[in-house]
Amino acid sequence: MITTREQERKARQDKRFVSKQTQTSAKYLRRIAELSGAPDGMEPFYRALLRIYVDMQGVNVPQGVKTIGTYCVMAPQELIYAAGAMPVKLCSGNYTAFFVGDDIAPRDACPLVKAVAGFKHTELMPVYDDCSMMIVPVTCDCKKKIAGMLEGKCDVMTMHIPATRGDDEIDSFVSQLYELAARLEDVTGNRITYDSLANAFSMVGHAQYELSEFVRLKKQHPYLIRGTHAMTMMNAAAYMSAPAWANAMHRVNVSLRRRASSGQTVTGKKLPRILLTGSPIVFPNMKIPLLIEEMGGIVAGDETCMGERGMYDPPVITDNSFDGMMRALANRSLRPCPCPTFADNSQRLFRLKQLIRDNQIQGVIYLVLRGCLVYDFEYKRIEEELGRLGIPVIRLESDYNEEDVEQLRIRIEAFIELIKLRQAPEKKPTIRRDFNEQVLHRA
Amino acid sequence: MKSRKRIIITLLVCLGLAALAYFAYMFPFYEFETNDYEASREKLFSLEYLKTLVPLFIIIGLSALGIVLIIWLRKLMLKTDKNYSRFSGRQPVRKTKAPKQKPVPFMIIRWAVMIVFAFLMIWGGLLFGLKMSSVSIPILSCPWNTEQMTESSCYYLSHLSELFELPISSILIFFGSTLAFIILLGRAVCGFLCPMGLIQDIMDKIRTKTRTEGISANEKVYNALTPIKWCMVLLFIGLCFIGGNFCNFCPAVATSPILAGMSTSLYVSGFLMIFALIGGFFKRRLFCNICPLGYIVGLFHKFSLFRIKKDCTACTECGACYEACPMGIKTIYTERGKIDVTEANCIMCGECVKCCPEDKALSLTCAGIKLYTSSRKDIMSGYAPKKK
Repeated sequence: MITTREQERKARQDKRFVSKQTQTSAKYLRRIAELSGAPDGMEPFYRALLRIYVDMQGVNVPQGVKTIGTYCVMAPQELIYAAGAMPVKLCSGNYTAFFVGDDIAPRDACPLVKAVAGFKHTELMPVYDDCSMMIVPVTCDCKKKIAGMLEGKCDVMTMHIPATRGDDEIDSFVSQLYELAARLEDVTGNRITYDSLANAFSMVGHAQYELSEFVRLKKQHPYLIRGTHAMTMMNAAAYMSAPAWANAMHRVNVSLRRRASSGQTVTGKKLPRILLTGSPIVFPNMKIPLLIEEMGGIVAGDETCMGERGMYDPPVITDNSFDGMMRALANRSLRPCPCPTFADNSQRLFRLKQLIRDNQIQGVIYLVLRGCLVYDFEYKRIEEELGRLGIPVIRLESDYNEEDVEQLRIRIEAFIELIKLRQAPEKKPTIRRDFNEQVLHRA
Repeated sequence: MKSRKRIIITLLVCLGLAALAYFAYMFPFYEFETNDYEASREKLFSLEYLKTLVPLFIIIGLSALGIVLIIWLRKLMLKTDKNYSRFSGRQPVRKTKAPKQKPVPFMIIRWAVMIVFAFLMIWGGLLFGLKMSSVSIPILSCPWNTEQMTESSCYYLSHLSELFELPISSILIFFGSTLAFIILLGRAVCGFLCPMGLIQDIMDKIRTKTRTEGISANEKVYNALTPIKWCMVLLFIGLCFIGGNFCNFCPAVATSPILAGMSTSLYVSGFLMIFALIGGFFKRRLFCNICPLGYIVGLFHKFSLFRIKKDCTACTECGACYEACPMGIKTIYTERGKIDVTEANCIMCGECVKCCPEDKALSLTCAGIKLYTSSRKDIMSGYAPKKK
């Protein structure tokens, strides 16, 4: 029996949770918006994040359209759109939910999972509570347990992610996608037909087209946009429908193109170019990209799940039958994904090298969320390999709170100074030559 | 245990193939009373021409029947599978098409070359008087068509015992021209010139047009085909020495001579042609995977001018090239060091380059000149917003 006092206590707690949650989210959104050099057309992305985190509303969908939550980019959105539903990425970066989840999940669990557990416990976030079904690809132990924890309120489908990416694994993943399609049909009551799947492909494909344009612009014109803004756009994709996101992205691309043709850059200065990689960075946990850019660096590229990686790889249809499209999805989900859940993940290293080459990166910041073992495992190898290329790397370990901000600030500032020193200002070599000449003269 | 079983099965298959090839003359598919190798331009436009085409019609009819049967059987088999059966009948209702990239010049040129060359090979001699019979190209275009534009190396390679009875100058011309083609073009002859390849590509086009699902790339399929390929090579070279005739076995006999208006009796080759057509329908260029002549040409892949080059840093290992490759070459996406990824099996069809989503990751070069380079823009061209 629940007494009135307990009820009151719960209501008080909820109220505190809501006010704290909206405050932090609004604060980070403001910090992002205040950052200089934002391109025109960012408003739709801000609005999407504002709606979810500050106004505490569900995603913007027409009446009757069900939302399906996903916990990883390996769950293909195309299938969800084909079933007439709307996919939402539920991986969380919320500090307030993290504090709640801290008591539920074990101490060593990663903050992302703790935050999800927190939202599940409080049942106050409409994005989570509106979901008709949740898809949890089991990419690590924490995800496996969170899948069990989420069970009960809505349908939860776990997807087995194999440790390797051989032909047999792809085949079994295809049959898993069929199972997923069947369950999606049951939940939404819509049929996934050839036509709906093909339309879903074009819908998501259009968004990917705009993204690839964006990536190309960014590559050709360095200092065109700040990484924090880019990451905000990618994060907003989690709560926007693909066509809406593509439209918003198109407007940004147009403004960026205008910027590029007039030779305009973010600050007009040559900022140290930094690549951000490692554990997922989910709004509102944007402290690290914000710190980097506030300390005078620029996040010139990111290799994180909620960043460009999520939609970067297009599904390539080599067989235009229904089964061929399912296979294209399975192939896209597993093979190009540089997720550390795979046993042999040397392709992540190549992906990083590619990003470094394309974006003229000068330093790499490797974020490890406390307890995120798979990403932590890969740090050593990446540090070694990039060291051979002469690219400095630092590992930042962080949690979902603001206690370590000052410590992070010092480390990031030092790292940026280091890159600036290595950048070799123009004056130095001439002094050195003079000095040499003097020495020679004397001799 | 499992591998032993597999070895026994492949050995049995190969033995069966060998027996079939040796006694090929005993299994007539369609026999004319007399084989008439006389063809003329007039004959092409007379009713008699239709009579020579009869075996071809039978082949096409039987293949169509086989394809329909296989599709029906597959549906029946999938009925027991809980998940697949639900989706097995999901055929397009409206005219919606799966997103497709816009055609690229390379592919258009390849198709044009294939079609024009096959046409000239078969009818060139009859219609336009084009004949340069001394030059041999290593393709499966049947030399029983005596009016062929040019010689095909397959006859003398499979009848080596006869080759050495020829005058020395002919032998030199034969080897010279064959080697020249092998070194200049390599297996690009398979992808660009071979009429057998064209037939299989047409079957694949029919499949994509009807949106039937094919057999997807799997290493097991290719592993099973490799011993059969070796067996075919042995038969191809060795059959003449033990008194057999590879031509009674070769599926290519069923096209060129018949289309040129020569009444040619078909033996096992007719059955094999049906196999090649049905196989080519479900698995693109299936016969090329076991083609003995292609294998011999492929042995010299290190010297040929056509190469597939890869920028390993740009690759994301998405495996699209492997999925698209009709020859099942896996190293093309797993390779992470070498620039040159040309393989013995590569037929230079350019599918991998077409499907590669990374800018400049894959390119098809000839003597160092880039003919075709992958680009994301091409891949995404199907998704580009329509211009208002």
